Amino acid sequence: MSAFHGFPDLPGPDEVALCKLNEVYCCGNARYGNITTFTNATKKHPVINVTRDIHHHRLSDENISMYIDVEDNLFKKITSVWYKQGFLEALSVAADPTVNRESQFLAVTASYFLKVANVFSTFRYFLQPHLKDIGPKIVSNYSRTRSWGNAPIKCLAWHPHATKIAVATVDDNVRIYCSEVSFVSTLKCKAQGHVSSLSWRPFSASELAVGCEQGVIVWTVDPNSMFTKPSSSNAVVLKRSGHNPVTDVSWSPNGDLLISCSGADTSMLVWDVSMETSIPLKRVAGGGIVFSRWSFDASKVFAATSSIIFRVWETKRWTPERWCARGCRVVAACWGPKDVVLFAAKGEPMIYALTNTGLMSGTQTSKALAVLDVTKVELPSGDCVGGPILDMCWDPTGRYLALLFEESHLIAIFCTTQLMMQLKITPCCFVSGLENELPSTMAFQQNFTEGACLTIAWSSGRVQHFPIIYTDGY
Amino acid sequence: MEPKSDIFSKRLLVAVLWNIGLQIFLAVGLIFIIQVDLLHPLSWLTSTVNDIFGWKMSINIILLALVSFFQAYIYGSYYMMPLPKYFTRFSMFLNMLSIQNAIFIVLYALSGYFTMGLYSSLAKSKFNLLKKQCESYDGQCLLEQSLFLQFGGMWMGLYYFMNVHIFSTTVLMFPHIYQDKFQQIKIAVNNILSMGFKNSMAPVTYYCIFYYLWGNKPRSFVSDVYSLYLEDPPLDNIIILITSGIWIGLWFYTSLFFISVYTMKAVFNIVLTEPMKFPIVSDSCLTLQNALAQRSQFNGYLGAQDLRIMSMTDGLRRAHIFTLSQPGGHPRNWNGLLEQCLGIITDFSKQLDCINGEPKSDMNKSTLRPVLNGSAYSKIPYSDTLRNMAQSPKLLNLKDNKNNAEDTFSNAVKEEFNVLLNKLCQKPGISYMFGELTDIKLKYVLMQAQPVMWTCEGLSFIAAASLNEDKYGVVQNDLPIIISALMNLKQNLEKLTKPGLVPRKHILNDTFAIKMKAGLLSSVKRSIYKIVITFSKYIHEIPLDPEVQIAIQPFLMCKEA
Repeated sequence: MSAFHGFPDLPGPDEVALCKLNEVYCCGNARYGNITTFTNATKKHPVINVTRDIHHHRLSDENISMYIDVEDNLFKKITSVWYKQGFLEALSVAADPTVNRESQFLAVTASYFLKVANVFSTFRYFLQPHLKDIGPKIVSNYSRTRSWGNAPIKCLAWHPHATKIAVATVDDNVRIYCSEVSFVSTLKCKAQGHVSSLSWRPFSASELAVGCEQGVIVWTVDPNSMFTKPSSSNAVVLKRSGHNPVTDVSWSPNGDLLISCSGADTSMLVWDVSMETSIPLKRVAGGGIVFSRWSFDASKVFAATSSIIFRVWETKRWTPERWCARGCRVVAACWGPKDVVLFAAKGEPMIYALTNTGLMSGTQTSKALAVLDVTKVELPSGDCVGGPILDMCWDPTGRYLALLFEESHLIAIFCTTQLMMQLKITPCCFVSGLENELPSTMAFQQNFTEGACLTIAWSSGRVQHFPIIYTDGY
Repeated sequence: MEPKSDIFSKRLLVAVLWNIGLQIFLAVGLIFIIQVDLLHPLSWLTSTVNDIFGWKMSINIILLALVSFFQAYIYGSYYMMPLPKYFTRFSMFLNMLSIQNAIFIVLYALSGYFTMGLYSSLAKSKFNLLKKQCESYDGQCLLEQSLFLQFGGMWMGLYYFMNVHIFSTTVLMFPHIYQDKFQQIKIAVNNILSMGFKNSMAPVTYYCIFYYLWGNKPRSFVSDVYSLYLEDPPLDNIIILITSGIWIGLWFYTSLFFISVYTMKAVFNIVLTEPMKFPIVSDSCLTLQNALAQRSQFNGYLGAQDLRIMSMTDGLRRAHIFTLSQPGGHPRNWNGLLEQCLGIITDFSKQLDCINGEPKSDMNKSTLRPVLNGSAYSKIPYSDTLRNMAQSPKLLNLKDNKNNAEDTFSNAVKEEFNVLLNKLCQKPGISYMFGELTDIKLKYVLMQAQPVMWTCEGLSFIAAASLNEDKYGVVQNDLPIIISALMNLKQNLEKLTKPGLVPRKHILNDTFAIKMKAGLLSSVKRSIYKIVITFSKYIHEIPLDPEVQIAIQPFLMCKEA
């Protein structure tokens, strides 16, 4: 029987799911429907709609070609390419016969140099295949956001203690929306490009780590300040050579350590942010570290590499336990209460659970249990759901699990209950967007007391808060 | 109970052993690389093995061991003492001329000389001996290259000493996460190799300049003493110096010297900073509470570090803290621990207070005075249901008399003298040399902030854990004290950054101290957040001072930056 058996029917063609109240799936008209007719729990939540016109101009890799080429002389062309893109690119420009028509000699020498350089680089990529891609490509490869390069919202993060959300938009600005104040702070500095991840520091109201191409930027945004554009003096850039682009940042639940990962670096860095020092954690095999997740009590860290290997680090002495996924790299993972970690491999419609790794099971050979099979099915309404998993979120209480699929425009939410070390997963509901909307990314609110609140960023730039509320009677 | 320095000396010994092992490894690696002979791999191996087990190597190992004992002695004497207090330029200058430093200079110069000679002999260079057979005369000639190298060795020792001990203060840096020793060394080695080769460039350049200017003096001195002839063109000529290529050799050996010194430092740091587990209750060994009591000493550091780790990860020992003593039912473990922690935090607050300016301390005095006077005091002794023997009226009278007795002639003279001294110190030239430097004082205080950070975090985590684990409500009683101590520290720290209080010119210019200050402030705030967020539902039931109650509001609303 499919895992999607037992879900409530999708809302009608003009309707959209708004919330779930004590097992009642509430839908409303797509245009006029309002969530406040059902519940006031999200009344004060910030209304976020990222439209194209609020974007600032950005100079990205795609729109360099948008500008009209001005014919510079050859030398100027080469130097500017050298300055912007590096020596090898400059060589290839010099060697290119369509660009370099003036100096044959230069073209020939450059092409020979290029050949030698190519031999070296192929050898290097043979040794370290994970370095092959360049910056943004690596990030978009490993990002859990659907079409990370083009989506209006690249990632979002809820503050652990306050109703405050940080949203990274396509122009690489980070906007901070807060329930209490109407204005939006926009964080932007020169070093902040290709934002891949955001993380709020626990036990602090102001610190936000932004993972981007150059490294990690830690912003300190005073919640009492009225500036909508804090200057870059509030930001600390944490860099280390070889550790870019950063694909994931995560604060420890105690708020003392910050882990940054880069898909191009085989070591994961543990930062002491105030002293700006980092300690690399590295073990043989596995390739670049793509992302890491802290367990709730900060006693373990799940680290996924770009190969099938993933590790569970124990944070007392920082020793890893090595695991291998079947088939492909781990694409998403999340910790729940009682040190349970759920993970999914890329391209596979299956969720595995790793319970009490190492301690209870004892042996290294113990396998992760498959807990949920989400093979693609067609619903009676004609929509497809399931298939390979793109992202996965577990709400902080461990009751709801939201899944984002690569090939479906629906988000599936499951109820999860843990009884006697046994994880039971039952259907809850689907969330769909308006017409032609695809979910880009999502996150559970961390301090929602009435139940769980899933925040979804749609491909149109609209951000929806989908509360699942339960009162004790139910 | 273990003697005070027992843990430290044990670790020092372990560090020395580790160090000797690593140095031998380095030396063997060097021999292996130098004798590289790809065409005859077998003879390469055999000659390497022969060299390794030869008498030369064993002498070298003894030398290495000696050098590393030197180092251990130096590090030991640096880390065992609390940081020296020198707040005036004059005292800093005097400090540089201490006997200890003189000994260290000699030791470092010797160790530089030895290490240099050692590596050059391992590398089989021909510049090991000062003398050689003359080519054109009959007799012995000076081999200036070897003089250049040996003198260079001493120079490097001195250079390193100056750089590390005189122009910067040595503080034991505890890493923020602890891995196995082996892993740490593996990470460190990479860094050390590149650092060694990079950092040796500057002193080699300085030395070449020095030799160009002054090189003729040691040369003539040595050739006089040994009555040697000079045959080759002298090296204090730029062109000859460069063409002889000896500077490349010097650079290589200097790099090796630096690598070996850095290795030593890294090994010492790794071994000394290993977290230690102190028991909560014990008759035989040092308890956490007693370790914390040794404030700024090494054990105090270990104790504070352990407190933090324990409060975060070790539920078993936390449970020990929350227990009551068996006969009596007093929370003795907790009380002892709390007393030490609060002591550390309030002492630090007080030190900051002193820097923040005298006006506050004056106010304190004036508020204290009336309390000390008998009239205000008369109610206090019996206000509680319990009679306090320590505050009986008789004792108060005694104290009063004592106070009066002190107001004598000698005191007046002393005061007068102090005023005079203060006036004298205001004079420009003198104040430059003898005036106290606030920023250095501040830096001195901040250098010792590490255990305070750990203590704050540890305390807050224990308090937070007590919500679920503390059956008898041992900790909850003391929450107001903890919160107000943390709040006080936070306010004192914030005063430092407020302009106007610390004169503008006394702004810290030391990046380490600035980072330390930011780190401390952040950890204090996080500690307060931790307690406030954990107890947010019950915060109104905690009997807090009205001031603290107000100060806590931004934390409750998550508005404190």
